[in-house]
Amino acid sequence: MRFTDAVEFALASLRKRRLRTLLTASGVMIGIGALVSMISFGKGMQKNVTEAFKASDLFTTLMVMPGGADVPSRDPARPRRPAETAGRAGAVLDDAAVAEISQIPGVRTAYPDVSFPALIALEGEEEFRLVQVVPAAVAASNAVRVGWGRAYASDDEEGVVVSRSLARRLGTDEPAAAVGKTLRITSVSIDLGELASLDLAGLFSGKGLPVAREVYDFPIVGVTEITAFGGGPSPVQNDVIIPPGTARRIKRLPITSIWDLFRLRDGRLGYSAASVKLGSLRDLEPVKSRVREMGFTTFALADQFDEITKAFYFMDMILAAVGMIAIVVAALGIVNTMVMSILERFREIGVMKAVGAGDGDIRRIFFFESGTIGLLGGAAGCVLGWAVSLVINRVVNFYMARQGMPDIDYFAFPFWIFLGAVGFSLLVSLVSGIYPARRAARVDPVIALRHD
Amino acid sequence: MNAPPIIQTRSLAKTYLIGDVRVAALEDVTLAVAEGRFMAVTGASGSGKSTLLNLLGGLDTPSAGTIEVDGALVSAMNREALARYRRFGAGMIFQSFNLVPARTALENVELPLVFSNVDKKERKRRAAELLEKVGLAHRANHRPSQLSGGEQQRVAVARALANGPRLLLADEPTGNLDSRTSREIVGLLAELNRGRRLTVVMVSHEESLVREYAHDVVRLRDGRIVGTESRA
Ligand SMILES: Nc1ncnc2c1ncn2[C@@H]1O[C@H](COP(=O)(O)OP(=O)(O)O)[C@@H](O)[C@H]1O
Ligand SMILES: [Mg+2]
Repeated sequence: MRFTDAVEFALASLRKRRLRTLLTASGVMIGIGALVSMISFGKGMQKNVTEAFKASDLFTTLMVMPGGADVPSRDPARPRRPAETAGRAGAVLDDAAVAEISQIPGVRTAYPDVSFPALIALEGEEEFRLVQVVPAAVAASNAVRVGWGRAYASDDEEGVVVSRSLARRLGTDEPAAAVGKTLRITSVSIDLGELASLDLAGLFSGKGLPVAREVYDFPIVGVTEITAFGGGPSPVQNDVIIPPGTARRIKRLPITSIWDLFRLRDGRLGYSAASVKLGSLRDLEPVKSRVREMGFTTFALADQFDEITKAFYFMDMILAAVGMIAIVVAALGIVNTMVMSILERFREIGVMKAVGAGDGDIRRIFFFESGTIGLLGGAAGCVLGWAVSLVINRVVNFYMARQGMPDIDYFAFPFWIFLGAVGFSLLVSLVSGIYPARRAARVDPVIALRHD
Repeated sequence: MNAPPIIQTRSLAKTYLIGDVRVAALEDVTLAVAEGRFMAVTGASGSGKSTLLNLLGGLDTPSAGTIEVDGALVSAMNREALARYRRFGAGMIFQSFNLVPARTALENVELPLVFSNVDKKERKRRAAELLEKVGLAHRANHRPSQLSGGEQQRVAVARALANGPRLLLADEPTGNLDSRTSREIVGLLAELNRGRRLTVVMVSHEESLVREYAHDVVRLRDGRIVGTESRA
């Protein structure tokens, strides 16, 4: 029988059992809808994260650590320090080394990761925070997203940038209002000369550390935006950033961890890490090898991107697996409907065979029927998945707006999702049709036509 | 009976297995039907008449013996070849008409043409022509439920002839009809037999109709031929 006739036969039979066709197609619609929204959610997350990473310059930032430092690695086979990035032990990351790194072609800026603990106060409210020292050039780049006010203009400007969440915690809800206010930074310092002469016995004998408190006031020049993903993947993470020239005038502890204290003891003062901003991703490999030749350990997020991609692939699989449960249920619905249809049309199948229908003709009619259910359900499922995603997106953004988060599209709909969904739905329905179609083709006309 | 036989069966047998019991529905049936004849098959209920017709029509396959129709060995055909044989070789009609209830008279007549890949326009044309031949042109767009028994059987006849077979098999075509309508239907079969040199094999109980129209009569009892009569 001709293709068009098989389609016509299938449609006529589906029309005749309209309600059942609709219900079965609804099952497929829900399954495909779930799958579409699951996958578009996965794609949305991937898109948001990848874009946020790209926008934040994380890919063009290289972290440099002293030789022999541990390197964060998520590879279970190599839990720490991959051999190719670990430098030789003992290379000290001091100002001279940072200056040398900044001269390597392809490097835009290199600056030590310096942060120090301080008591931060704004109009009476106060909290302990790490203050991060960030050069003006970096503060003006994508690494810091200033939403209100501006970044400080020079490394010596008397001004600080704070995060919106800190401003809020310190009692200023409207970020624009925080600009121009005065931030008080109270730092703690230790007289290093005295520290060197202290012995452990002295430390525990109640003399205490030779600690001094210093108080500084700086105007807030800018407030950073809160970005979508936990403050945003950014090389600059802290709530208060301050230019290096200004920071130098603050008396403070030169340490952020206990390890710095040990390094101090053998008189080899160096930074625990430095950030290197590159002109482009192409500069990563040459700069990395130069820095490693200098004896330092490097860490580049771009190197980890394969793992991030893998993680998203894995997330997609899990989301798809959840969607697949609904698909399996829908497929069983198709099988059920088609088998019912055979029982109801037992005699009609016999008649068709008696007037010359071959096994293939009968199979084809039933295949087209289940395929049509799949196409209908798949197309409706795309619309459903899209609509549900839209609603969820609205609701989530409504609540996120209350938290001061910007609007985000949590779902992404590349065109292939719809094509793929309809194609997959058709495939599932055809597979579901295999058994019913074969069974219909095997109907014995003598039995089907035996009267009454 | 000097024309070559269009149907030739040899030692045809069909046994059904019901549980462990073998039921011989047909045994050692050797039969020849000459082309252009009108043959009647009679016998008590359960004597194997429908079994014989189903075998001749390619709906069923024999347990033993051979069936040759128009030179082709039907008993050796595979499923696909049997479907083709039912499409072109033999038209069948039944006691219960077996029309598709959802389809109009015209669409029912079109059905065999769908399976022989005739395009829609040509299909409609031929189906309309056939309906006119059986006197039902004015009922083309009626569904079976809107037709009388006699009209339904006429549609079935038109459908059986759609692909132009040389053989028409009728299994108690008048079993559900009153005597007047029965006479009309058998009359129609006889007319087609005369006009088109169509060979007809009809199962019937009605001795008067059989005597009036059939050239040959075969009597079955318990699956065996117990008598044959012929007139010139
Ligand atoms: N599918 C079947 N399974 C088992 N027995 C059958 C089947 N078809 C027919 N029979 C048996 O075969 C015999 C002949 O049946 P049938 O050809 O229908 O007789 P008739 O048409 O002459 O009344 C009967 O005894 C019937 O019970
Ligand atoms: Mg019978």
